Amino acid sequence: MIAAQDLRKEYGEFVAVEGSTFSVEEGEVFGIVGPNGAGKTTTLKMLAGLLDPTAGTAQVAGYDTSETEMRKHLGFLPEESPLYEEMTATSYLRFFADLYDVPDGVAETRITETLDKLDLEHRERQLGDMSKGMKRKVAITRSLVNDPDVLIYDEPASGLDPLTTNYIIQFTEELAAEGKTIVFSAHNLFHVESICDRVAIMNDGEIVARGDLDELQQAHGETTYHVYTTVEVADSVRENGRYRRTVESMSEVEETRTLAQEADGEVVDIRTEESSLEEVFLNVADPGSRSEG
Amino acid sequence: MRPRKLLRIARWEVTKNAGGIDRRTVGIALVALALFGLVVPFIISGDTGLDDGLYRVSVDEESPYYDVVDSEGAFVIREGGERAVSRSEVELYIGDGEIVYAESRKGIAAYGQLQSAVSRYNNRQLRQELNQTAAFPVSVVLEYRQQSALGDGLRLGGDSGGTDDSDDEDGSTGQTDGSDGGESGESDGSEAGDTSTDQPDDGEPDGPATDRETTTDTGGSGGPIGGFGASFTEDSISGSPSDINPPFPFQSLVLAFLVIIPMNFLIQAYGSTILSERTNRRGELLLVSPVSRFDIIGGKTLPYFVGGMAVEVAIIAGLFVLVNGQLGGPVSVLAVMPLVLLFLGATFLGAMFARSFKELTFVTVTITVTLTSYAFVPAIFTDVGAVALISPLTLLVRELQGEAISLAEFVFSTTPPLLCAGVFFGLGAGLYREEDMFDQRSLRGRVLDALVGPIPVRGKPGGFTARLNGLLPVDVTPLRQYLAVGGLTAALIPFVFVVQLLAIALLFALGEISVVLILVVVAVVEELAKSLHIYAGYTHRRFASGRRRAVLLGVASGVGFFLGEKIALLAQLVGLPDLAVGEAGLQGGIIPGPPVLTVLLFLLAPLALHVVTAGISAVGASRSKRAYVVAVGTAMLVHLAYNLTVVVSVV
Repeated sequence: MIAAQDLRKEYGEFVAVEGSTFSVEEGEVFGIVGPNGAGKTTTLKMLAGLLDPTAGTAQVAGYDTSETEMRKHLGFLPEESPLYEEMTATSYLRFFADLYDVPDGVAETRITETLDKLDLEHRERQLGDMSKGMKRKVAITRSLVNDPDVLIYDEPASGLDPLTTNYIIQFTEELAAEGKTIVFSAHNLFHVESICDRVAIMNDGEIVARGDLDELQQAHGETTYHVYTTVEVADSVRENGRYRRTVESMSEVEETRTLAQEADGEVVDIRTEESSLEEVFLNVADPGSRSEG
Repeated sequence: MRPRKLLRIARWEVTKNAGGIDRRTVGIALVALALFGLVVPFIISGDTGLDDGLYRVSVDEESPYYDVVDSEGAFVIREGGERAVSRSEVELYIGDGEIVYAESRKGIAAYGQLQSAVSRYNNRQLRQELNQTAAFPVSVVLEYRQQSALGDGLRLGGDSGGTDDSDDEDGSTGQTDGSDGGESGESDGSEAGDTSTDQPDDGEPDGPATDRETTTDTGGSGGPIGGFGASFTEDSISGSPSDINPPFPFQSLVLAFLVIIPMNFLIQAYGSTILSERTNRRGELLLVSPVSRFDIIGGKTLPYFVGGMAVEVAIIAGLFVLVNGQLGGPVSVLAVMPLVLLFLGATFLGAMFARSFKELTFVTVTITVTLTSYAFVPAIFTDVGAVALISPLTLLVRELQGEAISLAEFVFSTTPPLLCAGVFFGLGAGLYREEDMFDQRSLRGRVLDALVGPIPVRGKPGGFTARLNGLLPVDVTPLRQYLAVGGLTAALIPFVFVVQLLAIALLFALGEISVVLILVVVAVVEELAKSLHIYAGYTHRRFASGRRRAVLLGVASGVGFFLGEKIALLAQLVGLPDLAVGEAGLQGGIIPGPPVLTVLLFLLAPLALHVVTAGISAVGASRSKRAYVVAVGTAMLVHLAYNLTVVVSVV
């Protein structure tokens, strides 16, 4: 559904995105994460046809991103979506439905249903009088007025309170369940982890890691073993009447077992803990901080 | 561009803004408009009544001065004798054989007013005399001629009227209307050179002609604009030679201003709506919707264009009704249309350059001053000559005066601003995309961005050039870049042309020095137009490096300019080159008559000049900013030297 090949974007001397290649299958939720300035937004805007790549190509729903036709199949939600604040929510949404050639009756139904799902009240209120969360709901509804095949959401819950954030993340999960292809960027890696099938990690304009969470963990994550013994061994801490030694490899687990036996004790439990996406991200994006930490 | 989408955006633009205006604001605007409509007739007539009843005068009904005082609006008659003056109850007392005025500034002013009133009263009385020869024993035909060269100023008919060829051809010299002097406001003040200007309406002279001369103010202060025109001209019909005024069309200026005023309000609203799309990335979502930027620009501009034209049509219709007593002015409406587009185009580009509403204010003020000068200053010379046709407003004034307007004159007046508006919209549209709309680059940077827009990018995927490269065995990018540079230079010609015309209009009255000044303006403007986009291309790394490439870009620009400047042929349609300054300013595009060798020389010499100077600038631009400044300065000097040589040898 989405294919990006060697995407590159330069702003004068500055290279914002370098050799970005990835693809997203139909119905897949693809997350792009990375620190500020990593090139996430630039990549999403190139996919949306807002920015012309300096080099490379991108196709969305079978169309080159420079084609106007492509936009009919796309719902784009930028990180900041200031609305026309002098308009009401419904007039604003009807206007965009018109631009997408959505018949009036269909648009009316679609707008009402989406706003109902998002639990947006005061729909005839001017957008300038709405709260940030309400405006975001209107912006999300706008991205759906044309019932697009592909959704590109850049930080959909940015700057919102936890309640609204959860609401929007749940709604995005529902959209994914409906079969929409979603490219999703977020600073909150928990959200990405919870709804994305695959993730690309960007740093300094380049994709430095990609894959599903298992693949990323295997390639860039760490597995931590908590070995519980009946006797005290080196580097262990007492915990609920037992001693816990945390190690990072199976050889160290075996070493712990040997140490316990030498002290007339034994290993009673071994628990495994995988790296979270956040830890994988920190390993990939800023390996120095992990080693220093 | 899809009309349905464009119209939808236009409708949205109207409703969106309508939602932000409350009823009170609409009410205030309507009241202001109504007041403006009420004031206009007084502005046109000049009878604002500000001095009505200013001076109190005590005069007896039996006094010969009573009618004088009674007919003068500035006076109000009060009871009281000479003592009333000392009691400050009146400023003037007119008694039997004496006039007493208060010893105050107002009293002295009232006395001066009385003297003027008496002079006017006497003139009116004389005009009613049956024997006009006795009333006006000396008559002078005042004839204004078109300037044919610098220093060829205004002439009095006294030393040319009887011998001028045109008089002989016309056969009407001296066929002046001795009895119609008071109606010279109905004479054709603008038909310079037509010595039969004082014919009555039926075309027949109604008084003895050949044995006397009649003082006639042809083309004086505004010409035959109905009753309003008469009010301006009648007082200079008779009197001393110092009363003779040059052809300064005060009314024309007032009328021209009425048409320009709404534009200055319109561009404020239009500039704001364009800039508001750029602030806080509001326009991003329109850019990502399935409409082209041209749909968006067209849709956002259409309501302002239609609204502006509606106001202009109303004003023009109102003027024709007030002045001529009937509707009219289709040519005027068509003439004003390019002006409306020019204001909008310049504002659009300015709003794409501005980074904040503060900067937009500066931009709109600059546009107001510049374009008002462009439209207004030439119109001052409506009654003087072809130079006035630089402004489309001149067409309005002339149509209002009942004069015929040829197609050539219409094309000459309206084409440059129309093309210029197109250039402004085109350059602005080049910036109407995500990466240029929302950044905070400096004005200089944005100008360069706008200029570099049409130049194809090396190696850009997906574009037309890339597709061509895929089909052909050679890289066509350089060729397309040469074409784009040449085309862009040609596209800038209307802008160059308008600046040169404006310079002519502003400088032509300065005497011989104006020729040199205009040549300097020509060299500066033309060399910038030929090289600025090449410099922009190098700053944006569009072109491959190398001197050969730079020279070829210069050649492309020079050829583009040479071909494009043939627009100056328009000037020949109305005879502007007959003015020395016109010839100086427009020499590059004017083709002289035969012989063939001369024609070739005059065709090839400008081509060589443009290619050489553009090449110099391009080589400088390919190296550095400083090198470009030095190179373009050198090119300007070469261009100036060429122009001076041509002017000295030809003019």
